[in-house]
Amino acid sequence: MNTIPVRRKWEPYLWLLPSVVLMAVFVVFPIIIVFKQSLSEISKAGVVGGWNNFENFRAVFRDPAFGTVMLNTLVWVVAVVGLSTLLGFITAMSLNASFRGRKLARSIVVFPWATSLVIQASIWNYIIKFEYGNLNNVLLNLGVLRSAVNWRVSYQIEFAWECGVGIFVTIPFVAFTVLAGLQSIDNAYYEAATVELTVCTVLNIIYVFNSFPIIYTITKGAPANKTDTMVTFLYMRAFYDNQKGPATAMSVIGFAILCVAAGLYMVTAMRKEEA
Amino acid sequence: MKRDREAVRRTNLRAAVAWALAAALIVGMLCLPLYSFSATVFTKKSGNTFVGDEKYLAARAEVEEAADARRAANGGVPVEIVENVTERTNSKGEKTSMVAFEVREEMRRNGWQFLGSGLTAGRLLGAALACVIAAFLLMLAGLRGGMDTDWPELPAAPHRLRRAAVWLALVALLLVPVFRMACNLAFTRQIKLASDGFARPGFDALLARLDAFLYGGSAGEDALKLMAGVSYRAGWALKALIPLLAAMVLSGVVLAEGHPAETLRKGLLYAFIIALCALILYPYYVMFITAFRSNAETTDMNFLHLLPTAWVWSNMRDIVNRGVLRFLLNSLALSFGATAIALVCGIPAAYAMARMNFRGRKAFLGFVIMSQMFSPVVLLVGISKLMNTLHLNDTVWGLMFINAAFNQAFAIWLLRGTFVSISSEMEQAAHIDGCNTVSAMLRVLLPMAAPGIVTTLIFVFINAWNEYTISTVLISTNANKPITVGITQFSSFNMIEWQYLFAAALLATVPVVILFMCIEKHLAAGLTAGGVKG
Repeated sequence: MNTIPVRRKWEPYLWLLPSVVLMAVFVVFPIIIVFKQSLSEISKAGVVGGWNNFENFRAVFRDPAFGTVMLNTLVWVVAVVGLSTLLGFITAMSLNASFRGRKLARSIVVFPWATSLVIQASIWNYIIKFEYGNLNNVLLNLGVLRSAVNWRVSYQIEFAWECGVGIFVTIPFVAFTVLAGLQSIDNAYYEAATVELTVCTVLNIIYVFNSFPIIYTITKGAPANKTDTMVTFLYMRAFYDNQKGPATAMSVIGFAILCVAAGLYMVTAMRKEEA
Repeated sequence: MKRDREAVRRTNLRAAVAWALAAALIVGMLCLPLYSFSATVFTKKSGNTFVGDEKYLAARAEVEEAADARRAANGGVPVEIVENVTERTNSKGEKTSMVAFEVREEMRRNGWQFLGSGLTAGRLLGAALACVIAAFLLMLAGLRGGMDTDWPELPAAPHRLRRAAVWLALVALLLVPVFRMACNLAFTRQIKLASDGFARPGFDALLARLDAFLYGGSAGEDALKLMAGVSYRAGWALKALIPLLAAMVLSGVVLAEGHPAETLRKGLLYAFIIALCALILYPYYVMFITAFRSNAETTDMNFLHLLPTAWVWSNMRDIVNRGVLRFLLNSLALSFGATAIALVCGIPAAYAMARMNFRGRKAFLGFVIMSQMFSPVVLLVGISKLMNTLHLNDTVWGLMFINAAFNQAFAIWLLRGTFVSISSEMEQAAHIDGCNTVSAMLRVLLPMAAPGIVTTLIFVFINAWNEYTISTVLISTNANKPITVGITQFSSFNMIEWQYLFAAALLATVPVVILFMCIEKHLAAGLTAGGVKG
């Protein structure tokens, strides 16, 4: 270990202090608030009352839309993480091979990562419009299609498009993490890439689960929550329907799910730390 | 691996036969019908006619005669008669009926007819044919005297000729789908647009050629109406062209390089990279062209161009008038602030984690890792409540702190990795010279860690710049909105001003994409630095 001598025992904690204060106030504190509110009665005006015997949680499970939303969330996470990992891995392998124009290709692949999700989602929302969207326009003007296709004929198809956009914007993250693994160690090529992939997949699950702007921009969960995932549903309940109680209860449920993923992440990241 | 001359000769011979056979078959395919059209050649309307009455029979006889004439003229081409009966009740309560007859003929057009048609599709087919013939001749020249030479020993001149032949065959292969696209454009898209009153310039010339191509110039005035009723499908000869050309390319690769597997792998790699880059750039192309189109053009379903017809630069002025500069300034302030706070808090913490041994080090690392899963979205209710308590609700300051806090984990992770990878010898030397820890870090370590720090800085900056969810909840005053929230004012529920939305999005995207391209090289290294080098 590359350490320097510490003169006073409390000195390291002083170095950590700013970071700890920042995270305590802006990360830990909201968590406490969410947990407290999820167990309390909250009036329409937002006044937090006392303990209400898990009524918020019961309300969540009574909600008929909750089942659909959870199923959507599962499909969303599995489809986006699974396919973006597969495609990102292929992309990383290709970008690691030597070919002319590799530098340019790498710079281009990084584009979606650098672009705000709300902007990417807005563009795709325009592209797939039936009446005047750019996809129909380009394909008709090139002669690929003979007549316009309705790209969002049903909400299932729209949800599939949302997953597609999710995959599209996630590929660079996977590709560059795997690429980093491929480059850091020359021997044991594939082994390094797979270690990287495990860490990256767990992180990816967390990011994708929490991803909000794509669905919020393209369908806003319509029709009737049929294309909502947990985070967009929670957002609607909290800030449109003003049901802060059930919303916070859902946050806590989301936490429980993420804790499992984060636990996995801790284990893999810590193991990497030991190695 | 050295192969004997006989084996080389045998492989070459087989490939050459396949090559020649494919080329001959391709030329042969052009004599067969590429497309078959079902087109109306004769129409007859008979008013006030009921099926079976005298007038009907007379009209029917006339139509039959016209159909027979077509049959006689075209030698057994299928001709069918379609009749449409329209029955109505008029104002007096009497029933009336009208019969419309149509003689439809199946017309087949082969490659040579396409070549002579003067249509764009015909020219493309001609180009493909020229490529095939040229490829054939080049290969013939390249094969002379080298049939039994092993590929590594092939002299440069025949090798180059063979390679050129393969490239030409590949061009021909790619021209086939382009030919089909050109057919769709001429036979469907242009006709439909003209029928709807949006004829492209030069459409009259196209219509005259189509008339000559399908009706022998007899349609005249009715050409547009007749063409609108034409349906068509590709014949098997056209469908066979692609596999034949692929066979030609493959056997050509064997003749030129000897090992098709490696060349194919390389070809696939390039094809994948090109397709991927095209897919990634596509939304940016859409954003760019839409940003400079007029509002009417953005929602025009008959828009005929791949680029704006007139570049509306004033869209930029309009969005500036609607406050986009203010949004950009807010974003800039928020991102700089968040980056500064994240680094000021993160550097000492990362330094302690990298250089000092203390109790609770592991626990803090665990906490840092854990906090990556605390997405602000799940905590929105808590965050907005906290901001109310701190009186930071609806301010850029609040966004700054939140972004700094939620990027803390990643910043510490990246910085710690950078610090660990740098030896502490210099700092120890500085200590002996009487420096304290702070000045040793500032003067010795930080300059050496500059690349890692810049990467972290840019990364946090971009994350803060692109953040949308927290801002949309916390900010309600227009003057405090960052750009990601600001652009949504151009898309209300029932009316989206696409050109303004994308013009603003363009301003928000270009700087960060350029920044990100700058750190792309370090990004790959930085991502693993946190862990691998620990």
